[in-house]
Amino acid sequence: MAEMPVQLNELARDPELINDFVVEAGEHLSNVELQLLALDQDAANAEALHAIFRGFHTIKGLAGFLGLDPIQEVAHEIETVLDLARNGSFRITPAHIDVILAGKDYLDRSLAALKQMLETGNAPALAADQQLLASIRASAQQTRPEAAVPAALSALSAAQEPEPAERGAEAQAIKVDTQKLDFLVDMVGEMVIAQSLVKHDPDLALAGKPRLTRNLAQLSRITAEVQRTAMSMRMIPIRQLFRKMSRLVRDLSRKTGKQVELELFGEETELDRGIVENLADPLMHMVRNSIDHGIETAAERARAGKDATARVTLRAAHQAGFILIEVSDDGRGLDAAKILRKAREKGLVEDGAQLSESDIYNLIFAPGFSTAEQITSVSGRGVGMDVVKKQILKLRGKIEIHSAPGRGATFYLKLPLTLAIIDGLLVGVGGEHYVMPVSAVREMFRPREEAISTVASRDEMVLVRGSLLPVVRLHRKFGVRPKSEKLWESLLIVTEAEGKRFCLAVDELIGKQEVVIKSLGESLRHVRGVAGGAILGDGRVGLILDPDALFGKAAA
Amino acid sequence: MALATATPDSAAKNDSRAGKYLTFVLGKEEFAIQVLRVREIMGVQEITQVPQTPAYVKGVINLRGKVIPVVDLRVKFGMPEQEYSARTCIIVVQIDEGGARMLTGVVVDEVCEVLNVQGSEIEDTPEFGRGVATPYLLGMAKIKGKVKILLDINKVMNAREIHGLAGALA
Repeated sequence: MAEMPVQLNELARDPELINDFVVEAGEHLSNVELQLLALDQDAANAEALHAIFRGFHTIKGLAGFLGLDPIQEVAHEIETVLDLARNGSFRITPAHIDVILAGKDYLDRSLAALKQMLETGNAPALAADQQLLASIRASAQQTRPEAAVPAALSALSAAQEPEPAERGAEAQAIKVDTQKLDFLVDMVGEMVIAQSLVKHDPDLALAGKPRLTRNLAQLSRITAEVQRTAMSMRMIPIRQLFRKMSRLVRDLSRKTGKQVELELFGEETELDRGIVENLADPLMHMVRNSIDHGIETAAERARAGKDATARVTLRAAHQAGFILIEVSDDGRGLDAAKILRKAREKGLVEDGAQLSESDIYNLIFAPGFSTAEQITSVSGRGVGMDVVKKQILKLRGKIEIHSAPGRGATFYLKLPLTLAIIDGLLVGVGGEHYVMPVSAVREMFRPREEAISTVASRDEMVLVRGSLLPVVRLHRKFGVRPKSEKLWESLLIVTEAEGKRFCLAVDELIGKQEVVIKSLGESLRHVRGVAGGAILGDGRVGLILDPDALFGKAAA
Repeated sequence: MALATATPDSAAKNDSRAGKYLTFVLGKEEFAIQVLRVREIMGVQEITQVPQTPAYVKGVINLRGKVIPVVDLRVKFGMPEQEYSARTCIIVVQIDEGGARMLTGVVVDEVCEVLNVQGSEIEDTPEFGRGVATPYLLGMAKIKGKVKILLDINKVMNAREIHGLAGALA
């Protein structure tokens, strides 16, 4: 047996075994992190200590089995520390937790390296981290015997390791490859279409058989139910994401020396996997901003008569087909005057402009506002906030800020439940059908001839409720032959792009349909004005329109 | 080493181009693509046009819940376009592009058969002497006195090329 860290034994060459290990160890690690944070809050939490021990113990065993020596070694050393704590040799301190977290991060990296090996086939770069090992060993030496707590701990450990009730819940769930899930959703979508093709078959209407009709109705009820269930399987609770923030808050609070407590509400709120994944970054930015700039130092807080421990709250809830997420802190709030002054300096606001409070807060999302001289010294808020806004918009969400000077600030996010489905208006231009997202439609109307005016006999404008809006003819953008060239015979959809309203001219409105958004594939991803494709009721593909790209600077 | 048993046909071993091919017709010529690339063959269905794409991109179709692009090989090769008929087929092929796999439909006049092409039957693409670049031709196969043009469909479909043109038009 070679001692080389990269050497894998026979078993470790089996990609399936390695994959199972990566998945299982990953789960243990994320659980370990939660429990560590719980232990950090309450050093006497014996249950958490046991859970952490079990996690590392399992990882050690699995890694040993596969001959992943560096992983085994780190897990072993951490286990030693935990075992000493379990036996009452010392009490876990934040310093211990720091070391164990560092060890856990190392294991995370090792798992990532293994995963990469599975994908690329290259040998993993699993280097033993001697420094880390030394620091873990050192922390095992910091024995500080304390009488009362260890007694309680050993009493608990004597009473058998408690099996948490969660075990029962775990058994109710199985893991499924997301690709399989996506395939199922695709196939269910196809089934619904096939079902509706049969149902609307003209031959069937002629047959006029009541029993057939009844059975078909039953079939459509079932397919609808299956579709609903399939879609709901893509939803996961926001818990994991929120808990990730616990770690961030802990790290930042130690780094900045501010005492911060994180409160989580609505962890069980479910939303689309894709959204959860894409929400991690913006959420992290917002939490970091709150702690970095929003929350004052303990001394400042004392002067303001506030509790020394600051509070950051994350809240999630469903509301009318949307999910609302709040990130709030009880820090100093945003300084509107300061933001406005800075924005004027940067030329983001004209001198005479009258801005409402929320307009001013929104300035922190302006690109360029944050990147250059940061205004961190006083009110901060702005580092990377344009990135946050962009990400949220990409998720088809909205972001709003509320702030009370001296009492804190809150970011409100409003996001769709899923990225996969949108409510669409089916519109026709010539022989083609397009899907217009309902969320982008302000109103629709057929203009009167006298409401239309032209500029330089080229650009068209139409008068809508007293304001002149430019007209974009979809058929010209897309090179399709329309039913009528006359604007007063077409349908105008009032929509918005980059904050400016305009009218999109199409031939007619065909109907309203919920559609599943599909990518057009790598080669057609950059088609301007098209956000994706959707399978329509007749099985054909309809293109989903992207109003932002049809108008505005990008379309020029 | 134990796996490297000698194949009966040594020519096949020497020529990586040998193997099973699906042949199809475009105009008067017969072409062939590696069978391993082919996912399925279907009749022509309704194709949704996509704006701002090169003429050879006919649009997108619904392949059992997946949206895939469709390319007309006649247009791609600069041949005159033809009305689609009952014989017209879409061959769904798998293309590798920068590590990612994607499916693309290819419209051809008519699908013929699957052939086992031996290495000895394959000749390199002749130099046409006009400086014509033929990067997507693997070679020519003479089978029963007929010439079949072996295509590297991956190169034909090269998504980057489609990108480039789309970018230039946008």
